[in-house]
Amino acid sequence: MNAFEWANASSVEDAVKLLKPAGGKVDPDEAPRPIGGGQDLLTSVKAYIVHPPRIVNLKTIQGLDHITADGQGGLKLGALATLTQVEEHADIKGKFPGLAEAASSVATPQIRNLGTVGGNLCQRPRCWYFRLENYNCRKKGGSECFAKEAENKYNAIFGGGKSNYVHPSDLAPMLVALDATVTIIGPDGKRDLPLKEFFVLPSQDVRRETVLKDGEIVTEIQVPASPLNAKSTYLKFKERDSLDFAISAVAAALELAADKTVRQARIVLGGVATIPWRVPAAEEFLVGKKLDDQVLAQAAKTALDGAKPMSQNAYKIPLTQTLVRRALAKLNA
Amino acid sequence: MAKKKIKVPKVVNGVPQGEVEIEVDDTAGPTWGPNDKHRLLNKPMKRVDGPAKTTGAAIYTQDVRPPGMLQGKFLLSPHAHAKITKLDLEPAQKLSGVKAVVAIVNVGGEVRYEGQPVAAIAAETVEAANDAARAIAVEYEELPHAVTAEDALKPNAPAVAQGRGQGRQQKQGNAEQTQAALASCDAVVEAEYRTPILHHSCLETHSIVADFRGGDEATVYASTQGTFTIPKDAARELGLDQSKVTSVVQHMGGGFGSKFGIGIAGQWACRLAKQLGTPVKMALTRRDEFLAAGNGPGSIQKFKAGANKDGTLVAVHAVQHTMSGIGNSNVAGQPYQYKAQHAYREAAPVNTNEDGSVALRAPGHPQASFAMESLMDELAYKLGLDPVEFRKKNLKDPAWHRQLDAGAKAIGWENRNKTPGGGAGPLKRGMGCGVGAWGGGGNAQCVVDVTVAQDGSVTAAVGSQDLGTGTRTYIRAIVAEELGLEIDDIVEKIGNSKLGNANASGGSTTTASLAPAVKDAAYNARTEMAKRVAPLLGAQPEAVVFDGRKVLGNGKSLDWKQACAALPAGGLSARGQWKPGLSASGVHGASFAEVEVDVETGHVRVTKMCHVQDCGLPLNRKALESQINGGMIQSMGMALYEGRVMDPELGVMLNPGFGDYKLPGCLEIPQLIPIIDDGDERQAVIGMAEGANVPGVGAVANAVYNACGVRVRQLPITPDKILNGLLQLQQQRG
Repeated sequence: MNAFEWANASSVEDAVKLLKPAGGKVDPDEAPRPIGGGQDLLTSVKAYIVHPPRIVNLKTIQGLDHITADGQGGLKLGALATLTQVEEHADIKGKFPGLAEAASSVATPQIRNLGTVGGNLCQRPRCWYFRLENYNCRKKGGSECFAKEAENKYNAIFGGGKSNYVHPSDLAPMLVALDATVTIIGPDGKRDLPLKEFFVLPSQDVRRETVLKDGEIVTEIQVPASPLNAKSTYLKFKERDSLDFAISAVAAALELAADKTVRQARIVLGGVATIPWRVPAAEEFLVGKKLDDQVLAQAAKTALDGAKPMSQNAYKIPLTQTLVRRALAKLNA
Repeated sequence: MAKKKIKVPKVVNGVPQGEVEIEVDDTAGPTWGPNDKHRLLNKPMKRVDGPAKTTGAAIYTQDVRPPGMLQGKFLLSPHAHAKITKLDLEPAQKLSGVKAVVAIVNVGGEVRYEGQPVAAIAAETVEAANDAARAIAVEYEELPHAVTAEDALKPNAPAVAQGRGQGRQQKQGNAEQTQAALASCDAVVEAEYRTPILHHSCLETHSIVADFRGGDEATVYASTQGTFTIPKDAARELGLDQSKVTSVVQHMGGGFGSKFGIGIAGQWACRLAKQLGTPVKMALTRRDEFLAAGNGPGSIQKFKAGANKDGTLVAVHAVQHTMSGIGNSNVAGQPYQYKAQHAYREAAPVNTNEDGSVALRAPGHPQASFAMESLMDELAYKLGLDPVEFRKKNLKDPAWHRQLDAGAKAIGWENRNKTPGGGAGPLKRGMGCGVGAWGGGGNAQCVVDVTVAQDGSVTAAVGSQDLGTGTRTYIRAIVAEELGLEIDDIVEKIGNSKLGNANASGGSTTTASLAPAVKDAAYNARTEMAKRVAPLLGAQPEAVVFDGRKVLGNGKSLDWKQACAALPAGGLSARGQWKPGLSASGVHGASFAEVEVDVETGHVRVTKMCHVQDCGLPLNRKALESQINGGMIQSMGMALYEGRVMDPELGVMLNPGFGDYKLPGCLEIPQLIPIIDDGDERQAVIGMAEGANVPGVGAVANAVYNACGVRVRQLPITPDKILNGLLQLQQQRG
């Protein structure tokens, strides 16, 4: 890795100041970066994918690693709460099962002990062309997406085009499914927005995966009270169970009436798109229906409508359809 | 003394190359005796180096840090094929902490693969060395490359190595007769099987420390499979007499065929140490290791084969291409272990712009076995024959019949899917099998010294390395058993070129070469001890017995220590060498796998694996079972997960790390059933490690077919291939 300056932030405000690029606007991969668990940042710094002149340590800030109830049945997750904390939290396991499942599906126990909620949402893509130092793909400011015509079995079937990486986060699809909001603090103060709007398509900004501007950090995620929380699940499909990113994943949540008619539904796909890919058509299709095999099959089909596979990743369509069916069937059981 | 001629296997860098005849003394000497009559051997023993390894106390080459040691580093070529048009070392040389920057390829020179070392650096820290590598100003003119077989075999392909990307062709058998015989077969299969380039994935990357501080002596610490493969080359690089260079290999973190000789890392560690007069370590990073430390070759094997309803394998026509990078490898010949009435095989390495292939555990065998076992399976299903019975019909050696029966029983073969892809629900279970073979013989290269001190302590010394296979443990056990002592009574000294000579650990020949020499040394020590102690007991030397830490004879007994007190001040020394009859050659194995395939996701889970292995006299049953387990895991990894991925256009490797090159992890490990084939009653030691990772690959692939009806002919068998295969089946059925 290149040499960088290490700065311990004493407060969120201090971190924001430290993250301000010297000399105004710089390339996003050359800007100072915050570090929480460092489980993604260090891999990209060591591979010379990003070159932050300064790394700002957020772990010296008190009070960012909380997991607390919001008093109304919802949940607040500090950006520095670790994935292990989320995975093992009794209330989350009981009342937000999909969230505990998503956290526990990440990487390995050692990585989860260090990796944080904020870091998991802000991690960079794993596309192996993006991770090749010597090839300047469009995502790194170059002029082409190498995956498009080449080795793309792990790449996106939704939301691609200019760039065809998949968003690597496991928490993101689940939190989007639970209508989570995110608090961001930066040079212009504090703002809250729906997590769904936090992620950006390559057509909006090919260099970044989120709306975060230089100097901004995520401080908290809020999951609102909702009947969806208790009936939520995350199904992740990996090539290798021991340690892998999702080839495909489905975050699903349902509100069912007493007779098991669907009142509302959330289906968000992971591992197949450049952002957590919510499929409203499939969600709307389910409302007012009971989940029999035919409905499940139709919902799965609808969820994958519009997929644009490349030369090697069409298999993700039937695979993801299976996961959608299984996730919904599990919630209906 | 009378002489006799015997045949021993010849092995070069882990690759068996036939047999050579040698002359040896025709002596009575030591024998192992019946396999079931041992006191320590052929029992489960704990690895004596286990505590040191598990606590971190064991010193590996990567841990060695002599005073003043500098860190070495290579700048690697980023291109598959390019000419260097500019090379300016000065910006790197100027950096703080950087002591030397040397060009390996100069301006005008060509690099032929991504990862080829272009320059070598020595610096005070790893970080400074990394910065220096990046500070070197180098410019390349890219040249046409080929990193796939398709590209390498085109008529206008860029020249990689020998001519147009294709090395020397071998031919065996009669092609016309074999083709003609196919016409009358009841079933014919035409198929092409592919295996990707694999990586050794040693936990310790290639590492070497040249401890030279000026003067006329040097010590070289190396992570190597051959203690004695180091001094000669290191001495040449250091400009020293070979006798003044000592190699040290106390513990090493895996080789699997990739660590013979000093290699380019050792070459530059020595050159930089010589230039600077201070120790230099070259320890490859994991990425370096993937790109530049050698690999196991990939293969493309095309068959036309036919068999008859009675199970006779009539004709096998095979064309084998071995993906060798810039190396020169061949996979084992077809029809592998099977007897066909007519067989024709042609084989050639295909050269690509990738680092050269080297030996990888049972070089060429897993590739050949996977293809042949898949082919046998395809024929069996086409003929409606039980795959086990079809194999037995075409395997002559009774060892395989015994092993296939034992494996079938252990896995529950009768419960396999009667119709491939049959059964209710999305989870389909299936079973498959395969067989393999290896040489594993020993030869006369080891010199072992056993010394008994006046205080009763016993040392067994030989320069041999412990590749991880348990050398330290069996050395102790053999000596202890011979002298009537316990494992903890013996100290083994190994891994030093100043000790008795030993062969490199290649071709599973270490145990069969070393154990007889240890036995001989222990036997000679016992004989010598008997002579010394006999007078004290008033017994004939031949009648003295060593048992239970006692020396017994003439109705009297002495404690071991009392007996040793009678030795002269210098104690007693006995030397042993390899003796014919104490080792043999030729092992057999049979693997079975049971898998569960989720036909809605393409996920394959191996639920159970079994491997039956013979090896003559098992020295340590626990270590042997571990070897068998490791072999099964390695073959499962090859079948389902591992493989180098190259980008054909860019000519670079896309997965040079453990995140993307997927080895099986804890959650992938199935129930493992290692079975030691005690039906093998040879009273001789035979290396078996390379028999254990061969047949499992085909067994897993065949189990996948039995489970879901999809025949995946290109490894690894990943979910996309299963799902695409199922889709094809659906389309075929309309």
